[in-house]
Amino acid sequence: MYFLRSIFKKVSFKQKIFFTVLLCCFIGSVIFVFNNYSFYERPLAKVVKTTIEDVSKVNSVNGIEDKLYTQHIIAELRNGENKGKEIHLINEYSQSKAYDHEFQIGNELFIKIDEQMEKDTELTGTILEVKRDKYLLLVGWLFIFILLIVGKRQGLFSFISLAFNAVILSFALDIYIQTSNQSLLWICGISVIIFTVVSLLLANGLNDKTYAAIIATLLGTFISLLITYLVLLITGEKGLRYEEMQFITRPYRLVFMAGLFLGSLGAVMDVAITMSSSIFGLYEKNNDITVKALITSGMEIGKDIMGTMTNILFFAYVSGSIPTLVLYFKNAAPFGYTLSLTLSLELARALAGGIGIVLTIPIGLYTTLFFVNRKRARQ
Amino acid sequence: MNVLVLLAGILLFLMTIIGGRKGVRSFLAIFFNFGVIMITVVLMNDPTIDPVILTIIACVVISCINLFYINGVNSKTKTAFLSTIICTVILLLFIIFITNKAMIQGFGEEEIGELGMFSLLVEVDFVKITVSVIIMSTIGAITDTAIAVSSPMREIHFHHPNITRKELFLSGLSIGRDILGTSANTLFFAFFGGYLALLIWFKDLSYSIGEVVNSKIFSSEMITILCAGIGVTLVIPITTWITAYFFVRNKENS
Repeated sequence: MYFLRSIFKKVSFKQKIFFTVLLCCFIGSVIFVFNNYSFYERPLAKVVKTTIEDVSKVNSVNGIEDKLYTQHIIAELRNGENKGKEIHLINEYSQSKAYDHEFQIGNELFIKIDEQMEKDTELTGTILEVKRDKYLLLVGWLFIFILLIVGKRQGLFSFISLAFNAVILSFALDIYIQTSNQSLLWICGISVIIFTVVSLLLANGLNDKTYAAIIATLLGTFISLLITYLVLLITGEKGLRYEEMQFITRPYRLVFMAGLFLGSLGAVMDVAITMSSSIFGLYEKNNDITVKALITSGMEIGKDIMGTMTNILFFAYVSGSIPTLVLYFKNAAPFGYTLSLTLSLELARALAGGIGIVLTIPIGLYTTLFFVNRKRARQ
Repeated sequence: MNVLVLLAGILLFLMTIIGGRKGVRSFLAIFFNFGVIMITVVLMNDPTIDPVILTIIACVVISCINLFYINGVNSKTKTAFLSTIICTVILLLFIIFITNKAMIQGFGEEEIGELGMFSLLVEVDFVKITVSVIIMSTIGAITDTAIAVSSPMREIHFHHPNITRKELFLSGLSIGRDILGTSANTLFFAFFGGYLALLIWFKDLSYSIGEVVNSKIFSSEMITILCAGIGVTLVIPITTWITAYFFVRNKENS
């Protein structure tokens, strides 16, 4: 009893330290991000007064009526040599706000100060960008806190794995930028192996379940990539419109393939770990279960998850195109042309990911069976 | 032959072999969902319809397809459906707040070049459309997590009919914790894959950290990812509570 109590105390003490450190990080970073004006080189200003100077109706194509507002803004500079001085800015925005913004008192903006012709006149400038870092930080912390409250220890581990993967990805891209263009697929292949091993080990620990899932994930991802590659080769990439990727000065086909590779990885990992842990679960409950029974139950589980898993990828990819679609339709672009131009890459990604998910079901099943049989032979 | 047709054909073939009847239904569900998105986009062109309300309706229809059409109408899909809707509405309110504050609507200056030939004055409210994009990116993952929690909870309740509401709730939470990591992972990699071109571009332009963090494109993508993460995490306790509430109450009635 005393022993249990001491463990309880020890754990809660560790947790206390953990939460204190976390809280300090949270408060420290929030104070920093609300007061980091001097860390930016570009001038920053906070809006103190806004007045609408002019409203005009605009008729654009197809009789669409939009309104244009001209806003006079007085803002107070927050950094640089003119800190504390007031500056006058002009902002134009439309009712639809597809590219412009309506500013309100308290908004913080990056600006460019115009050169003064004479001394002691009012400062004027142009608006460059909105200061968004604080919102990003707040949403990030909210995510971390919800993850920790709901997920506790597992939440912490999944956060560590996500953060670690993000760092690896950024590092891999740095290597790609600095070396030759041809190596992107290799860099991605190696990072995919690292991502898989790290994420699955952090989620499930060192055991046979994890090993089976790692092998199944790698096999599933590489086979589905091979299939997609063959499809692209056979069809001569007919129907794929790369226009929306042409802003990068890199071989965009390769970047597209790498993105496809990476994008389906999470889903494939999810399927692999679901298959291996449920089959191991069945085996552990009943050590005498036949291989045939395991295959039947494994396929049932696979059928249950494949529909919703493919839909996750579908929505994550296709939804991002909605603003572009609306803009095209509003500008009376033809329906088929719009769809092929804006959605072809997203649909190809979703379909290729779906192939990866479905293939991983039997691959995961038989890899796990191999590990189960090995364990059985040992006993 | 067209790439998309061939890929879709291969997917249908694999789903039919492995999933049988249910596989065909899963494949058709993707098409129905595509139809729902297209109808939503077309209706968004009408400025008199509020895009947020349109999105809520679309989410209800999509959850019906994902839960009732693929998995049938039963107690586990019903509770998953209710939890999905509640979670979506809570998330929606938060996204509306953050989109307005962070001003991440519409297009960034990096994207505007390729849209140069179009008029951007289209009288549709892009703030609301951005809210809709963020919630629609997550809806697939939210329904998946909801059903993944409610379905084993029904099994537990079936095998231990005398379980108390609190015990059922706690075992549901523990199931939820196990899938939390992989659900978040699925979404994160999907978004990383989708944004890979953009990330390379930011690295190529050698933006400073300050410029990247404050740029509209980067912050809107990050907020989308984080909101998606919040959504799949939040749906776990909601589903657990609702499922525990309904299953144990049902027993008391009978």
